[in-house]
Amino acid sequence: MKIVRSSVLSLLLLSFVSASAFAQTRRLTGRVTVEGSGEPLVAASVNVVGTALGTYTDDQGRFSLNVPEASSTLRVRRIGYTQKTLLVPAGQTDLNISMARDVLQLETQVITGTATTVSSVNAANAVTVVSGEKLNRVPAQTVDYALQGKVPGALITQNNGAPGGGTQIQLRGVSTLNAGFQPLYVIDGVIVDNSTIGSGLNVISQASRTNFSSSQDQDVNRASDINPNDIESVQVLKGPSASSIYGSRGTNGVIIITTKQGAVGGKPSFDIVQRFGTARLANKLGLRCFSSAQEVVDAGYDSTGYGAATVKCHDYEQELYGEHPLNYQTLASLRGGTAAGTAYFISGTVQHDGGLTRNDNYNKQSLRVNLGQGFGSRFHARANLEGIHTLTARGISGNDNTGINPYTTFSQTPSFIELRRQPDGTFPRNPINSVGNSNPFQNAELIKTPSEVYRLLANAQGIYNLMARERQTLDFNLTGGLDTYSDHSEIISPATAYVEQVNALPGTVFVGNGNVANATLNASFNHHLIRDAFAATTSFGYGQVRRNVDVLTNTGRGVFPGVTNVASATQIFTSQNQVLTKSSSWFIQEEFLTLAERLLLTAGVNSERTSNNGDAQKYYAYPKFSASYRMPTPDAIDELKLRLAYGRAGNQPLTGKYTFLTNLIEEGVTGFRASTIKGEPNIKPETASETEGGFDLTFLTGRARLSFTQFRKQIDNLILSASVAPSTGFSTQTINGGQIVTHGTEIELNITPIQTGNFSWISGTTYASNKGKVTRLPVPGFIPASGSFGTRFGNAFTQQGQLVTVLQAINGCTALNSTGTSCPSANRVLTFMGNSAPDYTMGFSNDLIFGQFKVFSLFDWRKGGLGVNLTNNYFDLTTAQCGSTVNCSLSGDTTAAAARALAFAQGKAVYVENSGFVKLRELSLGYELPMAMTGKMFNGHASAARLEIGGRNLATWTKYTGLDPEVSNFGNQPLGRFQDVTPYPPSKTFFISLNATF
Amino acid sequence: MKRYTTIALAIGALALGACKDNPVANPIDAPTVDQLTGSLTRTSLLQITIGALAQDRTTINDVQFAIEGGIFGRDVYRIDASEPRYVTETLGGNPDPGSFAGGRGFAGFYTAIRAESNILLALATAPTTIFTPAEITAHRGFIRTMKAMEYWRLIETRDTVGTPIQTDDPAEVTDVRCKTAVLNYIAALLDSANADFASVPATTVLPVKLPSGFTAFGRDYSVVSNLIRFNRAWKGKVDFYRGLDRKAYNAALFPTAITELTQALGGAAPGAVAAADFQKGVWYVMVPGGSENQPNLISDAKIGLNPLAHDSVQAGDTRGNKIVARSVLSGNGISTTWTYTGAVASTANQALPLPMIRDEELVLLRAQAYIEAGQLANALLDINSVRTNYGLAPYAPFASKTAAIDAVLYEKRYSLLFEGWSRVDDLREYGRLNATYLRKELPTDPYNAALPLPRPELDARGISSNPACTP
Repeated sequence: MKIVRSSVLSLLLLSFVSASAFAQTRRLTGRVTVEGSGEPLVAASVNVVGTALGTYTDDQGRFSLNVPEASSTLRVRRIGYTQKTLLVPAGQTDLNISMARDVLQLETQVITGTATTVSSVNAANAVTVVSGEKLNRVPAQTVDYALQGKVPGALITQNNGAPGGGTQIQLRGVSTLNAGFQPLYVIDGVIVDNSTIGSGLNVISQASRTNFSSSQDQDVNRASDINPNDIESVQVLKGPSASSIYGSRGTNGVIIITTKQGAVGGKPSFDIVQRFGTARLANKLGLRCFSSAQEVVDAGYDSTGYGAATVKCHDYEQELYGEHPLNYQTLASLRGGTAAGTAYFISGTVQHDGGLTRNDNYNKQSLRVNLGQGFGSRFHARANLEGIHTLTARGISGNDNTGINPYTTFSQTPSFIELRRQPDGTFPRNPINSVGNSNPFQNAELIKTPSEVYRLLANAQGIYNLMARERQTLDFNLTGGLDTYSDHSEIISPATAYVEQVNALPGTVFVGNGNVANATLNASFNHHLIRDAFAATTSFGYGQVRRNVDVLTNTGRGVFPGVTNVASATQIFTSQNQVLTKSSSWFIQEEFLTLAERLLLTAGVNSERTSNNGDAQKYYAYPKFSASYRMPTPDAIDELKLRLAYGRAGNQPLTGKYTFLTNLIEEGVTGFRASTIKGEPNIKPETASETEGGFDLTFLTGRARLSFTQFRKQIDNLILSASVAPSTGFSTQTINGGQIVTHGTEIELNITPIQTGNFSWISGTTYASNKGKVTRLPVPGFIPASGSFGTRFGNAFTQQGQLVTVLQAINGCTALNSTGTSCPSANRVLTFMGNSAPDYTMGFSNDLIFGQFKVFSLFDWRKGGLGVNLTNNYFDLTTAQCGSTVNCSLSGDTTAAAARALAFAQGKAVYVENSGFVKLRELSLGYELPMAMTGKMFNGHASAARLEIGGRNLATWTKYTGLDPEVSNFGNQPLGRFQDVTPYPPSKTFFISLNATF
Repeated sequence: MKRYTTIALAIGALALGACKDNPVANPIDAPTVDQLTGSLTRTSLLQITIGALAQDRTTINDVQFAIEGGIFGRDVYRIDASEPRYVTETLGGNPDPGSFAGGRGFAGFYTAIRAESNILLALATAPTTIFTPAEITAHRGFIRTMKAMEYWRLIETRDTVGTPIQTDDPAEVTDVRCKTAVLNYIAALLDSANADFASVPATTVLPVKLPSGFTAFGRDYSVVSNLIRFNRAWKGKVDFYRGLDRKAYNAALFPTAITELTQALGGAAPGAVAAADFQKGVWYVMVPGGSENQPNLISDAKIGLNPLAHDSVQAGDTRGNKIVARSVLSGNGISTTWTYTGAVASTANQALPLPMIRDEELVLLRAQAYIEAGQLANALLDINSVRTNYGLAPYAPFASKTAAIDAVLYEKRYSLLFEGWSRVDDLREYGRLNATYLRKELPTDPYNAALPLPRPELDARGISSNPACTP
């Protein structure tokens, strides 16, 4: 029994066998080529329909296979090409097959379990698969940026413009209030961490007025370490109907990443990409200019220095954020296979992206080695290893209470004051005391904010073929992996900085060390049975996941200038946070394909227990059922598939099981007493059930495809805090209760309107909308634990009957005060302002190929949505507050600022703004160099070369008056993302790159 | 066959891996309540004791106790332009159970009581290999005394509204008990603590290091002999007010109170307590700044003294030095140019300690008990021992009980200025918290004598106003 495997489709099980010696067979040979160009198609799978017999084409596109003597149907498949089924009559021994490019990417393999896949032709869920090529059309710093605009139903929002990433992905709306809210990331079957380790910015910004990190540190979530260039494809499971295989981690959706593998029998190919680029400030607020010293005095500022100033009006924003960094990225990868059955993919990346301010930057280096090896005919193993190193310096942005944030300084420093670095290397001291004499240019030079991550992603898989018959196979699959990283962050704010000198103990050092490890182990049996009437895949298995987090931080205040040792500080504060989570699960699944591969029925259940649950021994069941039917269609329609799926996933309680002891200090001694938050020893995971249905229609001879999906998701047992009687000694109790119901629609249309020899146009449009409502809440309405600044400005609110993403603010006054200039607090009207999430999102991508040129563009449109522009509040001062009759605001538009300040005092929610936008996310122009030039350039070694120029986030159209409607001062949080507080401004990036393949 | 063996082995490996999985992960980040019962060690007992004491300190170092008591007693003003409720809900109207004026000083004490109950549960299973039985019993007595003190603070501020008595079941919400029931409960708890102290040698030292407020103010209260005095001090005070309760006057308790207060004063005869001992007792040490951040709240520029408190000082009374002039503080219809020395905002004042109970208060309480028991001569001795210490001439024997009460109230007012709710307790129980004895500070002055149950407590019981208490 010979088994041939290919590692092109690494995680999966297109397992073929050769015909047994007992059946009557003939030898069939042939060649598979690409339609049109006639190039050989490597590693295409060729199998006899109705059996497990099959093989793969070699690097000449040739295959050789023993097929039954009787007439047989052959199916040829390869990712990126439309599959072909053809009859091979008895007696034929040779044939040539040409495959058409799957321009609309209609066919992919959809992952349905730890070791099972299904063709997307039959798949019963609305799963989005983004190929690596589509992901990397225009370079992106991190994989979440690269996914923006490409996944309908995914709202991917940036937190701020600082280098290094930092986005939140919300799949099909908000799925929780108090439990985990991030989607799960899985790379090659292994769960990968996406937490955020605090960078410590709070110790100098004092956004939360403590001596430790806070949620306002403008941090980066760790999914940003993933290298987009190593990705073969990304599959997004958008909701519980698909993600129940991930149990209590699946509620928020799953992003499954498969990395590139080598190809046995393929010629080794070496790819090198060299990019250069730059970034530019994309938006400014505009600051006020003073035309005379008298004007300065009238506005209430000290005009000393105005006369002597050489520059009467500094454009501080341009001066500070006007860097033109030279960004570069070098990618090299080697891919191939040996005759001995080894497949390899080795890649390395070196990347440097500068920020908009001096000394802000993002650096990444990574090395990945993916190996696959067959041992004999029964055993195949794969091992992937990646080492990543990132060093990020994100500077100072976000909320502050010390004056250290540049926009805080700009809002209180008249623009004639010189702040830039002087020729002798010194910085002028900002005379404005209310911002702590902070000079943002000095801060950018002296204050260091490095964050360094060393990360190791390792996984291994072994597949052992226990039974290999012509129409039946049984495999044992063991996959294990580890994701571990150390995140070392420092904040070094020397005592020589002016902003430090106003502190009681000048000189601050913060050192944070986070160590995180996630280990996954999965073992499964997969049985594949092929009969004439049906093909059945049964799989069952067991998995374990273990997660360990340890974050230790030390903050030192009063540090000698020049010293960075935190132990030498006058006062030291320490904090530590440790988490250990263990979970294990059993699963069983049946996939039944019948009616001439038209009907696919799937049923499965995943039964899981986690140490975070009240009863750590109890298994919770997460079932899934789905059906898809490819209807018989008239000629005009190629494919019409109806699909319906139901699934349940869960969301683990993160805390809430225990009543902890809180510490209080008395005379320097730490004491403990029971927390006022009572734990729930029987806490259960939140359960999310989703029903999803839709259809996929392919028409115009494969040149158009329409997908339509509707879903209803219901989340029960929401983890909430209920108030209890204070006489029990507690103030709140964690409970399971409450329900959110979300409805949504996703539509995707891909067409190639024009496809002639030299010119083709591929267009894709996506539409997604969803609305979630809190349908049941057993406690009174409350402001969720997410960060916010109160109802005066606008915050999230959770109340039965309201949208889960509703924004509440004070907007109206029953009776103003006697002068009409302010609203007494008793008369303020609390209003629900509307939905903070967009009404709908649309993506427009267009590929135009003419000859050797290719133009690609991607527009991202978000309609509706509300944000709270608190940055404006920094600039808004009423004439009464100015203490003069002339406006003292330093905003570029003083009239608007004064009007806003008055309206705010009168009780209007002036800072709540429409945050909808259209952004040109990606634009690129590529030129495939002709062979003649390629030959000359690389001495004939290169097989292809391409030159590309392009950019990301090149244009934004929005009514939002702030720097960028995509913003979140509190980083990633389930609700209340929309707070804009003096963020890092957005940037547009440009690049030019040369790709060469050898 | 070989194939099936392989399959069987594989299944076996799978099952084995599954069995070895222990699904429980104990919390490693912070201790939990479950870990209190079990193996108590000296360190953990120290930490949970400090936790309870720190919780108690946090709760009294709050508006309700440190400041509002003085406002209700008409000696203190707090005038804050951005927060008029310091006046409108104290001297100008009733405190709102939903605001800070009516809603504080409740939950914090119950959290301390829960902490103390947890310590008592932990002590019940404390290993005798680490602690001696005497230490365990002595500590139990100490914690019981502290717990009784928390209930005293709750009932002195809630008065006839009543307050619930917490049980060991964290989920149980008990009835609101009337004042008499609560006072009886406190008395019983103090006596059981005293029984604990009596059953161990008087030289027994508590197994934990107490904060300096218990050791550095003239007496080391970590020794059982002094803990007995501490316990009897509270019992005497409680018994006195039980007796004086205007709704349930009980003269039989006054001789008991006298005995207890005398024991608390170390057996001193009437008038024999030396002035040097007046400051001795248990205090709260305040620590401003740092991670502890417990500055004395009285140090506040918005605090002032009711001008009447300045004007009523008898000539020559050195306690008048506690009063200093200040810039005009006015708003919401009241104003003053006087304040308490400790209220002047300064870093030194932020570190001033607050007394929990001290000998001077005990002497005056004993005087009050003597008066009620008809022993005016003994009362005179105690009152004079205080007066003369402050440069005032001693009184001649009292003509009547009323004259004696007037005298002792004066001494208490200025000896215990800014030291909590004593003045309110006295004015209230003597029936003097009304327009006959005190001027109206504002036209709408309701002569508030107690706080309501806070809004979260009412909400949790599903009611909107104070319920009838259960006797």
